[in-house]
Amino acid sequence: MIAPTEPAAGRALAVRLTNVTKTFGAHTAVDDVSLEVPAGSIYGFIGPNGSGKTTTLRMILHILHPDRGDVEVLGERSTRAASDRIGYLPEERGLYKKMSVRRVLGYYAALKGMNTRDTRNATAFWLAKMGLEKWADKKVETLSKGMAQKIQFVSAVIAKPRLLILDEPFSGLDPVNLEVLRAAMLDQRQQGTTVIFSTHDMAMAEQLCDAIFMIYKGRKVLDGTLASIQERFGVDTIRVRTTGGVDALKGLDGVQLVRDLGQSQEVRCAGDPQELLKSLAARTRVQLFEVAKPSLHDIFIRIAAPAAEEGKRA
Amino acid sequence: MRKVWCVAWTEYCNAVRSKAFIIGILALPVIMAVAIGLQIVGAKQRDIRDRKFAMVDRTGEIYTVVAARVRERNARQVFDRGAEGSGPQVRPAFIPERVDAGTRTDAELEPELSARVKRGELAGFIFVGADIFDTGTDAAPRIAWHAQSHTDNELADWLERTIAEEVRRVRFERAGVDRAVVNRLTSVPAMRRLGLGSVDTATGRVVKAKEQNKLATMAVPVGFMVLLYMMVMSAAPGLLNTVLEEKMQKISEVLLSSVSPFQLMLGKLFGSVMLSYTLSVLYLGSTVGMLWKAGMLGLIPPGTFAWFILFQLLSLLMFGAIFSAVGAACSEIKDAQNLMLPVMMLVMLPYFAFLPVVQSPNSPFSVALSLFPPATPMLMLMRIAIPPGPPAWQIALGLVLTTAFTLGCVWAAGKIFRIGLLSQGQAPSLAKLAKWVVSK
Repeated sequence: MIAPTEPAAGRALAVRLTNVTKTFGAHTAVDDVSLEVPAGSIYGFIGPNGSGKTTTLRMILHILHPDRGDVEVLGERSTRAASDRIGYLPEERGLYKKMSVRRVLGYYAALKGMNTRDTRNATAFWLAKMGLEKWADKKVETLSKGMAQKIQFVSAVIAKPRLLILDEPFSGLDPVNLEVLRAAMLDQRQQGTTVIFSTHDMAMAEQLCDAIFMIYKGRKVLDGTLASIQERFGVDTIRVRTTGGVDALKGLDGVQLVRDLGQSQEVRCAGDPQELLKSLAARTRVQLFEVAKPSLHDIFIRIAAPAAEEGKRA
Repeated sequence: MRKVWCVAWTEYCNAVRSKAFIIGILALPVIMAVAIGLQIVGAKQRDIRDRKFAMVDRTGEIYTVVAARVRERNARQVFDRGAEGSGPQVRPAFIPERVDAGTRTDAELEPELSARVKRGELAGFIFVGADIFDTGTDAAPRIAWHAQSHTDNELADWLERTIAEEVRRVRFERAGVDRAVVNRLTSVPAMRRLGLGSVDTATGRVVKAKEQNKLATMAVPVGFMVLLYMMVMSAAPGLLNTVLEEKMQKISEVLLSSVSPFQLMLGKLFGSVMLSYTLSVLYLGSTVGMLWKAGMLGLIPPGTFAWFILFQLLSLLMFGAIFSAVGAACSEIKDAQNLMLPVMMLVMLPYFAFLPVVQSPNSPFSVALSLFPPATPMLMLMRIAIPPGPPAWQIALGLVLTTAFTLGCVWAAGKIFRIGLLSQGQAPSLAKLAKWVVSK
């Protein structure tokens, strides 16, 4: 086994992609991507649909092999040797409908090399943690969507993985179940598991992730901590709430883009914010004026969407 | 190998716990029992309404004889007399009617009698030509039976037999030949069909050849082939369904995060082999039990069971791999059905060709076909079950070719499985599948 590579900062790496490219026919899904995921971190993968997130995750899992470049996972380079130490929750849930919850979990745990006794104990522990003890011997097809999603999560973590890959773990969950899974995910990190999760929920990514990786049209466009990413995009965002609403911002000097959030607006300002405040106060009553770093949502849209579609110029 | 076993065991457990398996086990004996039961019940439920028929007798002699025979038959065969002599009616009574033709020809009478049949007054009518006793003429004597339906032939067959008997009697009489003498002279002893004799090497005593049961010697090889076909069909196509289902429900992706595509396919193949062997134990075991009880176990050549198990393994791996690959390559059951067609032709090939093979097991056709790998397991097994069996070199060559072909199938299917399992959208063409096979 190759020892996990030490990054420059001295922290062990769970995943290292080096100039990875993957094509499907004429389409390049992932284009020369390099990435280092430190062990024990929560790494968020963001990007529009079809940008290459799932392909990248599948290459980390060795479900797909890169056409070029190296994939190193938990110290293993380009082999499936680490697969028993990786837990995976795919974007579209995959559970046997006709099997009981206990048998599904037993099967997935056995595939990861877990023995029967440990599987039995872990099943009992996780079902209790998820509040699903009574469903242990029920068929998966009888579960609600939220329950099935929790079972899918349990199947990913039951074998105590060192690397947990979650593809859209929170999609379609109600707030209660979402909170349960979020807490379980943080528990995993607490125990030293590296978590990579892809999401379209930018607020969730901001809250949970130590670092964020954004892929767009197969290429890496963002990689780093939220603070460093925000730093890169400057302090040009102003959150405004006025009695005049979005109309009050029309035609003001320095306003590049206005994103109407309903009760407030997010303004990208090219000029001096103080001048903007003066101009705005002359037009309407200002209830809130906050100079802020751009949100991840805003950054995502700046990269992934043409301005004409997502916002409107002032 | 641990992961392969884990997949195989889960596949096996899923299959044997399913309702389809329970129904599948019970299906064959139930279908057989129902078929036999229906035959028995159906035989008792025959139409016993009177069969009235009209006869146009141009000889002037036949009708009288037929009418007399009808009376005898009705008296003896229509009712099941039983021990007390008054049982229920079991056959229809025949009621003859002589048609006075006068000067009218058969062609003139036909429409009138046909109309009576249509009205339900008659079951049918028969023309007996005046020349039926003549011999030495090229023109066939005319006896013609007319009826609306020719599916119920009891009356027609009886009339044909009765008239033929009377015609023979009259012809012998006219020729002045004693029929009893002819019967005696023309009867010859039946030929016995025996196997080969041998000498017991231990005692030096001659072991006499055993009587051959022609039905059993045909039934054993065909039975083995059919059983092997059933075992393949009850396990291999299921692989297509499970692979396709796992692909459609995105279970494959979860599995592939733990096992390689080849391990997954191999596990599924072994699972289906275990399932098929379970069925074999049940079916073959009960068959052996019945044969043993009937004292007919000796009809099965020694070693046939071992060959059965070996060929079952080869055909399951061969066809199972192909079915798995088809399931992995498709995203919809409809696409899979289209790709299945050529595969099913291969599976059924021995079925189409078994009759000439069982009749001439050592003909060039039989030898060639039984050495064609997709057909080898079933046809070579059948030839082995027909004493004295094919030459050893043919069995060895068949095994080598089939093993090589099976390994090739598993290898190619593994390539298709790997790529197909994660592919979405339209089903690939055969050309594209071939491209997947040769891809790195």
